[in-house]
Amino acid sequence: MEDYKFLFKVVLVGNAGVGKTCLVRRFTQGLFPPGQGATIGVDFMIKTVEIDNEKVKLQIWDTAGQERFRSITQSYYRSAHALILVYDISCQPTFDCLPDWLREIEEYASNKVLRVLVGNKIDREDREIPTHVGEDFAQRHSMYYLETSAKEAENVEKLFMEIAAELMEQARSKELPRYENNSPTINGRTTVIGDSNCCSRMS
Amino acid sequence: MTSTERIQSTVLSLVETVNINGNMKEEYEKLAQEEEAVNLRLESLFKRQCHIEGKLRGMTKVLPNLQIVHSDAQQLAEMITFTSTLAENVSAKVRQLDIARSRASDCQQRVHDLLDLQLCAEGVKASLHSEDYEKAAAHVHRFLAMDQHLLEQTADIAEDCTNVTNSFSLLQDAASQLRSVVNLRFDEAVRAEDLASVERFFKLFPLLGLHDEGLEKFSNYLSTKIADTANGNLKTALSTQASDRRANIIFADTLTLLFEGIARIIEIHQPLIETYYGPGRLLRALGPLLRECDVQLRRIVAELQRCRRLEALAQAARAAQAGAGPRAEGEEAQEGAGGEVRQLDPALGELAIAHARYALFERFLRRRLAADADAGAATDADRRARLLEVDAALARGDTCRRMQELLSTYLGLERLFMVQSVRKAIALDALDDAGAGAAGGLCSSAVDDVFFILRKCIRRAASSGSLDGTCAVINNAGALLEEELCSALRARLRQGYPSGYLDLTQAYNSVLAGRLQPTDSEQQRVLFLAALNNADSASEYVETLVKQVSDEIPVSTPMERSKLDSCLHGLSSSTSGIKSVLDYGIQQLRASAVKPRVGPWVDSFQSVSHQLSEDEFTAYEADQPFVQTLVRNLHGLLENFKESLTPGNYDTLVTILTEEVTIHLEKAVFKTSFNRLGGLVLDKEVRALASFLTSSTSWSVRDKFARLTQMATLLNLEKVTEISDYWGSSTGPLTWRLTPSEIRQVLALRVDFRSDDIKRLKL
Ligand SMILES: Nc1nc2c(ncn2[C@@H]2O[C@H](COP(=O)(O)OP(=O)(O)OP(=O)(O)O)[C@@H](O)[C@H]2O)c(=O)[nH]1
Ligand SMILES: [Mg+2]
Repeated sequence: MEDYKFLFKVVLVGNAGVGKTCLVRRFTQGLFPPGQGATIGVDFMIKTVEIDNEKVKLQIWDTAGQERFRSITQSYYRSAHALILVYDISCQPTFDCLPDWLREIEEYASNKVLRVLVGNKIDREDREIPTHVGEDFAQRHSMYYLETSAKEAENVEKLFMEIAAELMEQARSKELPRYENNSPTINGRTTVIGDSNCCSRMS
Repeated sequence: MTSTERIQSTVLSLVETVNINGNMKEEYEKLAQEEEAVNLRLESLFKRQCHIEGKLRGMTKVLPNLQIVHSDAQQLAEMITFTSTLAENVSAKVRQLDIARSRASDCQQRVHDLLDLQLCAEGVKASLHSEDYEKAAAHVHRFLAMDQHLLEQTADIAEDCTNVTNSFSLLQDAASQLRSVVNLRFDEAVRAEDLASVERFFKLFPLLGLHDEGLEKFSNYLSTKIADTANGNLKTALSTQASDRRANIIFADTLTLLFEGIARIIEIHQPLIETYYGPGRLLRALGPLLRECDVQLRRIVAELQRCRRLEALAQAARAAQAGAGPRAEGEEAQEGAGGEVRQLDPALGELAIAHARYALFERFLRRRLAADADAGAATDADRRARLLEVDAALARGDTCRRMQELLSTYLGLERLFMVQSVRKAIALDALDDAGAGAAGGLCSSAVDDVFFILRKCIRRAASSGSLDGTCAVINNAGALLEEELCSALRARLRQGYPSGYLDLTQAYNSVLAGRLQPTDSEQQRVLFLAALNNADSASEYVETLVKQVSDEIPVSTPMERSKLDSCLHGLSSSTSGIKSVLDYGIQQLRASAVKPRVGPWVDSFQSVSHQLSEDEFTAYEADQPFVQTLVRNLHGLLENFKESLTPGNYDTLVTILTEEVTIHLEKAVFKTSFNRLGGLVLDKEVRALASFLTSSTSWSVRDKFARLTQMATLLNLEKVTEISDYWGSSTGPLTWRLTPSEIRQVLALRVDFRSDDIKRLKL
């Protein structure tokens, strides 16, 4: 079977045009796609990374930011291990919408989900949201914070690798179920079935 | 040999130094070895000498031949150079000839053009006069196909210059005259609804270099046809009686008619366009048609939304979702939404059909446009650009956006429907009479119903033709299983299994028939066991559902496949939630139905003396009162549950029963004193018990007797020291489940073993 020890679902959300698809493409394919059309529904990509000599498979769901796809994208929150909430540092409205996104996350996502706030497009000259404002917001809502540029490949690798490392850490400390090679049962948050349980059907 | 001498002298000198270190012998041996190696190598070198000499002799013989080859090669090279120069000379002449020929043919063409110019000029005058527009257009087309710039140059140098210039301006006049006539006549034909004339003049536009105008006009004309039909269809739809067979999906039907109408027009007219306008122009030709589609679709969708009260239903959906946190207990909560749910079902069906038809239409358009772009593309880059243009045009369209919005509405409502239906199924849970006494054990309707609902919703989503939509419903189904079904089962199991003796079959029948008013605790027992069985079968239901969906839903690309698979994988992981509920229930059952009863049964072990004389032993062995009673009791308990539990749960029950029995019996043994015969009795008792429980289940429970069996073995020893047959390096395959201190403790139970002997044991 496939050779990985951990499997994590990472879901990107945020307003249309903030650069979610570009971030994912930069990370998974190492390129900045020209003439990137708006995402329809949800796109799905896989990348396996290595952390501490362990293979970690990241299942990345790139959701459409446009309002009319909300009922599709919302259905992916619940089983996400990590949620990346993206805004555009050169576009105030995308930052102003963050509380709405947080409300969505509260409603649909597991409360254990790892939440990361990302200010994208730092290569642009016309910044509207200073770094400390983004940082403050993240801190107030207990999220991780990172500024990136999908265009200049800045912090993109770091973003996903740190998420993978953090999730692995959580999984190791038994907060998340562990995925063994041949039984990749994904289970976002329900109780882990301990081996010691007398009733599990074995022997 | 000199090397040997050298070595010997080195040895001698070394001997002195080595002597000082006292290692002479060692060093000498080392050197002797080296010597031998050197000799061997020398020998092998000598052996190769004659071989090498032979080779050298061979080479000297071949050397003169090389000279000959060299001069031959030189000669060949010269010949080739000569031939190539010759060939180049010839080909240069051919090239010149070719250029001359092509000039001649250019000339000829020019002459032809000049002649044709004359002809066309005369012809166009005549045909315009006789209103033969086809002929006139053909002449103009011929004129437009000439290289007009070159012709003018020719005219300058030609003798009969005025003639050419005259024809030239005449034709240009004729062309513009013809253009306005064709435009005019086309419009007239449209006004007169004269389809034959419309097509007649449509064919003339490209001959006059008016491709875009022609397509635009024609497409506008077709759009009016679409608009007329769509208007009529919508009117009919709005006046459809509620009793009509198709009343429930009348708007989906109206949309279908719109899509089919447009598709049919494309089907009919595409060959015409391709023949007279050439390939690669379909996207342009469809422009006005697709804009008309946007207009008509907007009207139909607006009516659909109004008549089906989608806004109100969506509002209810949002309200219900907002309160979707902890499950609303009580029937009132269900009542209010009940009416909405009933209305939702047909509306959802209609929305799914509407989207499915759009998906078909979109695929049709994409296929046609892609094929046309392909045919019209000159280069690969051009083809890619054209295909991108097609994608962008389709995605930009209002129709596409509106249908995505409609899909979104559908998904929101489908979610509401699923939540409400599942809650209702759980609230109206009833015992399943088919399950009575059958092999399946007690079950209730909820699980069956819940999975029926989920399957129905997923299938309906799949029928909409949107994979993203289907995946969303699959995701929502997984959430529902955990949030609604698991929590309902857990809530039922949390109430526990009331202990006390009962006849389950009787209680079950009375609950089912409603004849007798069963006592509360009887009913609670039945419901508890049904919940336990439901949890067991729910896991299997999930697997079946996942498999069915995976087989049923069509996917067209590997990307779609893996998307669907990941979502299905998420769904099947809800089994782990279900399993933990099941475990929870089993623990409840253990605490209330197994533990309290097994305790007293096993404790009676202590009331039987295990210090027996030969006579007592014989008497006891004849009927083994303790173990026979215990087995009878256990058998009674298991029989009581056997009919009521699923095979899986029954096996689990046997397992926990075995655990309880062995744990209690161990404790009882530790509180009893034995002599040898008492140990023998225990050994027989353990065996009888193990064989009874092992035969009660298909799972292996023998392992759970390991400790007891070892205790019996210890208590059955003749002497303390005999334990060395079992303990230590000579023990072979026996793995002890008892710790050394436990072993001493067990041995101490034997009244005839001296504690000093036990202490002295090395374990
Ligand atoms: N300068 C700059 N432009 C960026 C960056 N990332 C994305 N863009 C541009 O932003 C636009 C939108 O990018 P997408 O990745 O399609 O945005 P999205 O968030 O996926 O949008 P939706 O799919 O509609 O939700 C594109 O034109 C990108 O070229 C960045 O880091 N720097
Ligand atoms: Mg995108």
